[in-house]
Amino acid sequence: MEEEQIKNAVLAYLQKKGYRQAELAFQEEDLKSTSSSFKTDTDIANQILRYSKLDNVPASYKEAYSKLRNWVHSSLDLYKHELLRILYPVFLHCFMDLVAKGFQQEARSFFQNFKDDYETLHLRDLQKLEGVLSSDHLQEMELARSLRENKVTVKMCQFSFDLLLQYLHNTDSSLMLGVVNEHINLQVTPGQPTSWSDDDMGPLLGKPQEGVSEVNTKEIKWGMLEDSLEDKAEKELAGEAEKAEAEGKEAEGDEARKKMGEAGKAKKLKKDKVSGTAGKSLKTETTSTNSGVPRVKSELPMAIFSEESERRALDDLRNRARLSSSALPSVSFYTFLNTHNSLNCASISTDGAMVVGGFADSSLKVWDMTKSTEQHSSFSSVRLWNIPLTANLVCYKGHNYPVWDVQFSPVGHYFASASHDRTARVWSMDRAQPLRIMVGHFSDVDCVQWHVNCNYIATGSSDKTVRLWDVATGECMRLFTGHRGMVTCLSMSPDGRYMASGDEDGAIMLWDLGSGQSISPLMGHTGSVWTLDFSCEGSLLASGSADNSVRIWDVIGSLKPPRIEEKNAIRRLRLLKTLPTKATPVYSLRFSKRNLLFAAGAFNPAKKL
Amino acid sequence: MTILLKETVQTIAQSIGINNLPEEVAEALAPDVEYRMREIMQGAIKCMLHSKRTTLTTEDVNSALQLHNIEFKRAVGQSDLFYVDDAEIDFKELMDAPLPKAPLDTAVVIHWLAIEGVQPAIPENVPLEAFTPSVELKKIDTLLSKKKDDEFGVEVKLPVKHVLSQELQVYFEKITGLIISRANPSLIKAALDSLATDSGLHPLVPYFTQFIADEVVRNLDDIDLLFSLMRVVRSLLINPHIHIDPYLHQLMPSVITCLVAKRLGRKSAENSAPGRKFIDNHWDLRDYVANLISFICRRFGRVYHNLQPRITKTLLQAFLDPKRAMTQHYGAIKGLAALGPRVVGLTVLPNVETFLKHLAPDLSMEAQRSEMKRNEAMRVYGTLLTAIGVCMTSRLKYFPVFFLPRTWNPGGQGKIVTARRTVVSNSLSDSCTVSQLTNTSPRKTTTSADAQDSQPMEIECIGHSYHSSMSTIELPSQDVKSDAKIVVDVSGMDHSQHQSQDMARSREQVEPSDSDKAIFPLSDSWKEDVTLGPLFSSLIDLFGEALLPFVPRTELNIFL
Repeated sequence: MEEEQIKNAVLAYLQKKGYRQAELAFQEEDLKSTSSSFKTDTDIANQILRYSKLDNVPASYKEAYSKLRNWVHSSLDLYKHELLRILYPVFLHCFMDLVAKGFQQEARSFFQNFKDDYETLHLRDLQKLEGVLSSDHLQEMELARSLRENKVTVKMCQFSFDLLLQYLHNTDSSLMLGVVNEHINLQVTPGQPTSWSDDDMGPLLGKPQEGVSEVNTKEIKWGMLEDSLEDKAEKELAGEAEKAEAEGKEAEGDEARKKMGEAGKAKKLKKDKVSGTAGKSLKTETTSTNSGVPRVKSELPMAIFSEESERRALDDLRNRARLSSSALPSVSFYTFLNTHNSLNCASISTDGAMVVGGFADSSLKVWDMTKSTEQHSSFSSVRLWNIPLTANLVCYKGHNYPVWDVQFSPVGHYFASASHDRTARVWSMDRAQPLRIMVGHFSDVDCVQWHVNCNYIATGSSDKTVRLWDVATGECMRLFTGHRGMVTCLSMSPDGRYMASGDEDGAIMLWDLGSGQSISPLMGHTGSVWTLDFSCEGSLLASGSADNSVRIWDVIGSLKPPRIEEKNAIRRLRLLKTLPTKATPVYSLRFSKRNLLFAAGAFNPAKKL
Repeated sequence: MTILLKETVQTIAQSIGINNLPEEVAEALAPDVEYRMREIMQGAIKCMLHSKRTTLTTEDVNSALQLHNIEFKRAVGQSDLFYVDDAEIDFKELMDAPLPKAPLDTAVVIHWLAIEGVQPAIPENVPLEAFTPSVELKKIDTLLSKKKDDEFGVEVKLPVKHVLSQELQVYFEKITGLIISRANPSLIKAALDSLATDSGLHPLVPYFTQFIADEVVRNLDDIDLLFSLMRVVRSLLINPHIHIDPYLHQLMPSVITCLVAKRLGRKSAENSAPGRKFIDNHWDLRDYVANLISFICRRFGRVYHNLQPRITKTLLQAFLDPKRAMTQHYGAIKGLAALGPRVVGLTVLPNVETFLKHLAPDLSMEAQRSEMKRNEAMRVYGTLLTAIGVCMTSRLKYFPVFFLPRTWNPGGQGKIVTARRTVVSNSLSDSCTVSQLTNTSPRKTTTSADAQDSQPMEIECIGHSYHSSMSTIELPSQDVKSDAKIVVDVSGMDHSQHQSQDMARSREQVEPSDSDKAIFPLSDSWKEDVTLGPLFSSLIDLFGEALLPFVPRTELNIFL
């Protein structure tokens, strides 16, 4: 090793780092010790030399990364997928390092070279990052900044970890080691490597993931609303049934009881077939689905219903068709014609009598209707409309940016809005100012949904997370990660225990609110999922998508614990039926109180050339 | 490296009046401008997603700009920008113009996407690819055996009771009424278009097949109606929303009938002038049906492996049976030809010689007195020639080596042409037929260049018209003309019009030796298909140089 070379390198290093004092001291020392030959540790010298070399040659990033990539891809299948997990963050950070160091061209060519590996999973992120060309942009762009500032957690087993470490040491790729060290939080799990199924890399969130588990341990009262109509109906029906039974007992006497029981059963079956109009059969079914679901009192003052509406609701409950995996719903489709691509959203009233469409020119059109409904106009305000008067009653201003979604609470009076300004707000109809502002999302809040017991709202965001907020305190109660794209829609199961969310890539996730765990990832749609809805007893989930189809999924079947843990490691929601529409993306879905499914969409035929 | 070049930035700077923007500044600005642009486009994508669309529009970009609080300056007025120019309209003109048609208003229609999980087959729904078992069946299926969860092992039985909606009944009556009443062509065309494109017609298919079968049997003498019916068949076949397979076997007899029936169209007195029209017509019908059959074989041949063999067999029977009428032979040959050159090679080629022998008496003026019969025989001959020719062309095309003009023999030119001349007269046996075909009065000239001139021309023209119908072969008409010209030149060699058969024979014997020269050495190079050479020469024996137009141009080099 040439001494002179080392000396120069050290000097260059000190100069570069701006260690002026050290530099001077070094030169002094150097002058003193020129005569005395000192032994240098060759290893240290090598390190120093490499440092100067690497810093000067951005191509080394490319080289080191492609080496690592080759190594990972040629590793044993057992560990390969675990090792693959680190490739994507390493790739991103290499790219951003290059950008930060000002090697614009090299950064771009590096990106172009390797981006194909990740395009299937992370297309949208790559599109965003592709434009980053200077360190200013890194600071400015939120995705890049959060990636730079936070470590990504990657789980791997002990052996994979050892393999990786050995590789990084043996090949002297201190560059990669540095990247891994700086930006990746390797979480070593004991035991066997995890199977492919959990290889759900999840989104690359640039935020501390420890927070997730912390947040998700908070206690949630996920039960159904106490004293809700359903509750009342159930009680009433149960009372009726008991009464009928008692009467029957009296009339028939003991010896005929057995006979009667059989006849009753037969009768029950019959009635079931005729979509269960009698209270007796209904009682059994409602209790079977909702038994054991705790009741929760709402912390919000509730509006009081009129006798009339209550009676009607009970009527609906009695006439509800029973749905299950073998009894699929009927779907009534509302097609908007001649919209010229201007329909932005649509909503259907629960009884299907009204359909409203929101158009690009900020107009609302209501078809065939009698009651009032709410919709949002295009820019930064929420308006309340009264349909009988066809007048705008109130304009709620508060958001600074466009409002993406508005939802009324299940009992009315309150509503929640989601906006581009990264907040969700809770309002009541009688105040022009919001009651609560939920802040915490890192990007636009794209959709909002009330929990059935009105104590929580869920929000889906462009930062690929879904959060659950306590309405009373405004606190974030749950943080769900797993989506790979913007969350486009949310739906709560009627018993308040589960939540479904759909994203722009066509994936649907089912979450258990109590435990904060993902239950079933669900793939099938090829276009963005625009809308989701649970059937009234929560047995089915309907989804509508940009791929021109309505799909119906079996919820109950997916919730059952798998019999053999190993084989059914992935529990996917079972797809029961795909109902393709004719060139009509499905914008809105809603189960009526009687379990008829309404769907709406704009007919958008391919243009003939 | 960036999409935006620094030159672009400089140009933009100049356009707003900064003339001397330093290069370094431009270089530094370019990536930033690109970044901003991408940012806006990503905002636009967000707006698009929130509008629940999948195509990005300019409106989205505008919204994104608004989102970023950027005021968008309209591009109008810049000379180097592309934009949609709004033309200035005179106010008076605008006032005088009639009111434009109002755009269709947005409307909402309701239909059943599914009833208890089953999609009804209505026009509003996506046409079903095939019938899926009903829910009841599925239920039973799952109850019976849970293992058969994926496959519906039970045979699908369509419900016996067939309920037709009122609309479909009206539709059926309208269409059938139109066809039977022979309404004006534009109406019928509209009906056929609707049949070919509308979805939701599937329930009507059995009724249509029945209707076609009935009407064909009942109206064999009505050529126009038959034609319409065949067009209906075609429309039904090309409709992508109709699952016609189960009804194909009911349609095929009617179709085949229209191809090889002994008599199609009205029975007419042979000499009466109006009768002629119908006779001419039925050839067209047969041609049309032949194409239809080839279409059916192409589309359904893969699903029903015995479909084409069965059709071929039927046609071949008609072709081989000497007792059949000329019209039947015509239909059979036409049908076989439409099935492709391979089929022709397998079925027609081996039987050409016997068939020609059988045909010969009808072709000759002496043996066949009836003009119409002769006419028919000529037609059959023409089709046969075309079929064989196309078959040969396709074979020759497989062997490009064959075309190399290796045995170019300039001296042979005259000889071949002579030979051709003889063969033409031979095969037709009487050139008068040709002129009779075209010119109503037979010519009586004995030795005239004019007659010679018109004769080969006509032959070529007949051949040519077939080319266009076959569409597999494209012979430029120039070739035909030059052929004819050569003949005209040679016609100075003074051949008598009524050449005796013997004379022709003797000439013919000269001819093969000549063509052999060209072909045999080549066939040697052709180990794979040794038969091709001899086959070709034997065909030339039979047909004469009328086959030559079917030889591709490069191949013609050998002879000319």
